[in-house]
Amino acid sequence: MARLLGVVPWVVEQDGAHLDDIAARFDYPREQLLEDLEQRLFFVGVHPFTPDTLVEVRIEDGIVDIQYADWFSQPMRLSPDEATRLLAAGRSVLDMTGESGRTATGDEDGAAPLVRALAKLTLSLGSERADGADYVEVCLGHAPSHTLTGLRGAISAGRQIEIEYYSQGRDVMTTRTVDPARLLSHDGVWYLFGWCHRAGAERVFRVDRIRTLAVLDSDTQVDLPAGPPPVLKVDTVDRTVTIRLAPEAAWAADYHGARERTDHPDGSVDAVFAVASESWLARVLVQLGPQAELLDGDPGIDPNLRAATAGRMLARYRQ
Amino acid sequence: MDKLERLLNLTAALRNAAQPLSAGELRARMAGAYSEDLAAFRRMFERDKADLRAIGVPVEVSTLYRLDPPVEGYRIPAGAYAGRDVRFDPDELAALHLATNLVRLEGGSGAGLARLGGAASAGAASEVEEVGELPFHDSLAKLVAAAIGRRAVSFPYRDTGRHVEPWRLSFHRGHWYLVGWDVGHSTERTYRVDRIGGPVDELGPAGHPVGEGSDPGTVKPWEFGEGDPIEVRVLVDADQASWACHRAGVDGEPREDGSIVLTLQVREPAALRSFVLEFLEHAEVLDPDWLRADVAAWLEALV
Repeated sequence: MARLLGVVPWVVEQDGAHLDDIAARFDYPREQLLEDLEQRLFFVGVHPFTPDTLVEVRIEDGIVDIQYADWFSQPMRLSPDEATRLLAAGRSVLDMTGESGRTATGDEDGAAPLVRALAKLTLSLGSERADGADYVEVCLGHAPSHTLTGLRGAISAGRQIEIEYYSQGRDVMTTRTVDPARLLSHDGVWYLFGWCHRAGAERVFRVDRIRTLAVLDSDTQVDLPAGPPPVLKVDTVDRTVTIRLAPEAAWAADYHGARERTDHPDGSVDAVFAVASESWLARVLVQLGPQAELLDGDPGIDPNLRAATAGRMLARYRQ
Repeated sequence: MDKLERLLNLTAALRNAAQPLSAGELRARMAGAYSEDLAAFRRMFERDKADLRAIGVPVEVSTLYRLDPPVEGYRIPAGAYAGRDVRFDPDELAALHLATNLVRLEGGSGAGLARLGGAASAGAASEVEEVGELPFHDSLAKLVAAAIGRRAVSFPYRDTGRHVEPWRLSFHRGHWYLVGWDVGHSTERTYRVDRIGGPVDELGPAGHPVGEGSDPGTVKPWEFGEGDPIEVRVLVDADQASWACHRAGVDGEPREDGSIVLTLQVREPAALRSFVLEFLEHAEVLDPDWLRADVAAWLEALV
């Protein structure tokens, strides 16, 4: 019904439109559209349902003409929910393309279509200002823009890349040749999805940990399937630890995505974390310091991890 | 009568009404659309009203005192149905359509675009590969509407009620943030939208002028706090240098061996310590001396 209420004002404004155009424009299956127009809209009207109070729908040679649809001829107001979705999607794309979207002067004539569209969206929602972009801001990820631009270029040209990549989990720097397939934003972080020739497998890389990027002259060799983005598996780790967090550090349970948490009356929290790597755990324990206590861990997790790590780090300060 | 036809007729009747109509009057005017059985009619009518509201048709309720006893009356006020007369050019609709295909928001029907007049290039845009999905919260739309309409709102947050004039909604690092004026505390505040613990209620018009507010994405944890910042220099090894610069939002000064010195303005030393510790043995505080000693003492206590 929402779709049909979008079709009617458009057809009225166009003074008639072709069935195929309507179907494409509104993503409306043609058969369904024909049925809705001929079998349903055609019989709509108000009391006393004399011909002059009925909507008139005529379809000749595929051209749809709608008359007397006064109740439906204006486009319906956007709900805040729909407007927010459109604004957020639009702002995301501005973030990707690096346009600010801010038009302080209110002069939109030279602006990109999307910037103009967002300004109009805001206006249609009753804004007194024409600066559509300012109410909603989206950052899809923090990464150097030259890296993102380079990756996009390589993907669209089908070129291989060589990256120096810092793997925080294992705390090592590696150089890899990758067939880049897609850039994905997940939880406000940019990821590169591609085929890693070093691993001989599909890999997901955090773009902000790519230290250097070189686009090679060679074409990509592996075609990765298109379709829905691969699920970014962040929680496939089986090793877990239980950490007791002092009340001042209780926030860390949410922050580091605890799988389970038990709150104690004194405000402390026992949190169970999945351990992606030992260096991740070392980092968390050193950062939280006296506010965190390793209670219990799977075999294979060094109970002296924190002390050993702190000792290595201290060496820098003793010189 | 088919449901779509009945809903369209109901919408027409509600829009056509010069004054609110009772359910009984609507049934009489809709010639056979509804069941003769009163209970069945009421059920159907309630469901239809809910369906219309779900797609954004503003069905308004009032009390009809002209009837005895008074009953609920319904209509769609002329001003509430239609949006402002804003025309979107084809290239603008195409750009919006492309955007909704690139970035999806959790849930959502995509009905918004149809309402604006469809998208001329619907076919082409649907071949674009999605780059990501953003979370969506029920309160988000209310907060955006309040920001646009310059209204104040109230909501529960961390177990207390807040009275806020929303300015802006920002998505950063996986979360939506509300930036606005906290009326109760007379200060600018930033809230995590997913931590709003209950319904957002609209209050009256906003009174405080809209400010810039802090940008949740660019303010670093060590920059929060009161007073004058102190200057801190941090040395980071070559392998982590570019990542560190990026995280800290500064360029840094490279040394010959590829390592880099970051100069940071710090108001919250504990947050800076945490940032430096994140690099494990690949970074250290160079100066001031007291902060260097503070980090060393922190580590000493863990050995």
